[in-house]
Amino acid sequence: MVALVIALALFFDFTNGFHDTANAMATPIATGAIKPKTAVTLAAILNLVGAFLSTEVAKTVSGGIIREGSDGVQITPDIIFAGLMGAILWNMITWLKGLPSSSSHALFGGLIGAAIAGIGFNSINLETLLQKVILPAIFAPVIAGVVAYVCTRLAYALTARQDPETGSKLTQKRGGFRTGQIFTSSLVALAHGTNDAQKTMGIITLVLIAAGTQTPGSGPQVWVIAACALAIAIGTYAGGWRIIRTMGSGLTEVKPAQGFAAETSTASAILASSHLGFALSTTQVASGSVIGSGMGRRGTTVRWNMVGKIALGWLFTLPAAGIVGALTALLVKTGVVGVLIAAIAGTAAVLFMFFYSRKSAVGHHNAVEVEEAGQAVRFAKKKAMARARADAKAKAKAKAKLKAEAEASTPTESPAEAEAEATTTKDAQR
Amino acid sequence: MKWLELLTVAGATLAAAVTVVVLYSLGVRLTAIAGDAQQASPGFKRSLAYACFGLCGLAVLFGLYLIIPYFSR
Repeated sequence: MVALVIALALFFDFTNGFHDTANAMATPIATGAIKPKTAVTLAAILNLVGAFLSTEVAKTVSGGIIREGSDGVQITPDIIFAGLMGAILWNMITWLKGLPSSSSHALFGGLIGAAIAGIGFNSINLETLLQKVILPAIFAPVIAGVVAYVCTRLAYALTARQDPETGSKLTQKRGGFRTGQIFTSSLVALAHGTNDAQKTMGIITLVLIAAGTQTPGSGPQVWVIAACALAIAIGTYAGGWRIIRTMGSGLTEVKPAQGFAAETSTASAILASSHLGFALSTTQVASGSVIGSGMGRRGTTVRWNMVGKIALGWLFTLPAAGIVGALTALLVKTGVVGVLIAAIAGTAAVLFMFFYSRKSAVGHHNAVEVEEAGQAVRFAKKKAMARARADAKAKAKAKAKLKAEAEASTPTESPAEAEAEATTTKDAQR
Repeated sequence: MKWLELLTVAGATLAAAVTVVVLYSLGVRLTAIAGDAQQASPGFKRSLAYACFGLCGLAVLFGLYLIIPYFSR
């Protein structure tokens, strides 16, 4: 049973990874800052690093909601098995729908449902539930959204360039943000590793303690950390392209400066929250940031019906995962046969969803259409630049000829002029 | 309820994100100015821009330093 639960926990970590790749890498992929394949590789490596960096969260996140220890009830591996089943199934369903939903809420929901069905209502600590799950769910997108809005406004205000005399708009040259996005999205991936891989570590440690192979109150063992880090990295590399599509182009149209602002706010919100003791969900923070940055740029529309869909998904996360968890807990209660049935049914459901998803595959090649557009633009830019260069050369030649004929005028003027022209045409491409 | 902690998190998030975004935006802006055709001292502006990017990177590293428990122990 313990081995089964550990395997399931690692699989949950895997789904968590590919569910949350979108949080870090959707916006840079959408703006063309990083190629999709490179993006998921980078995210995977940073998740791996992040998982090793800090194991503080592992001890705090999963504890407290279900009353454990001497005054409450004992959590058995059965309950955790049922809870994980609920979380995994809900993760798969939301992935199929392309909804960015919180993996940690799915886990909490599953565990709560399993505990209610397996032990009873009094096993749930309602106040902690409110404090750890429901309030953060409301405030995470709000905080991230407001911060991303402010940052987007600031980024645009600081880089808005106008001609002081004529008041007409100069070329803005915000290309630098695209490079910056590589770093900020890496930071988000790192934050995700320090945050989300911990939950699975916490679960496995809980199981080991429950099974009596580890002393209560000790931190996760090294092999647990390594296994969880690997599972989440592999999951991230697999890439949840459906959710990347939703986050990258479904919510709002993302420009590099917006993406930069959104990612900075996401990273700082996750890191600040997980280390100041008010854990927020990565997914909800990231979605809030994207929406906030969408409202921050003038002339962008936020697709509110998509926002509504996502919010509805969040509302259902807890009860839906809870129901699956409860059903599994009831099955498991009946004995070994029940465990087998639950395991087989769960595997079948996951496989079914996987094959169903193949019917309309979303991969790195078609996750976000902007990539193609970006290449087209780059291609055109190269061509135009070559043309501009050729033009400038031709002009310089013509001028040189004129000069040779007239042998007048200042000699430095023509190359400078040609250069200025070349730069203006270059700027026009931006 | 942990309202104080909620406020701390919101404040820290805002402060960190605004610092990074303002520094990076200034860097982008200065690079843009330095790249302008008629410019008195592009070299100076460019080095200012790099200073901004550098400060931005330092701010991020400092944030990571605060967070990773290995250093604060």
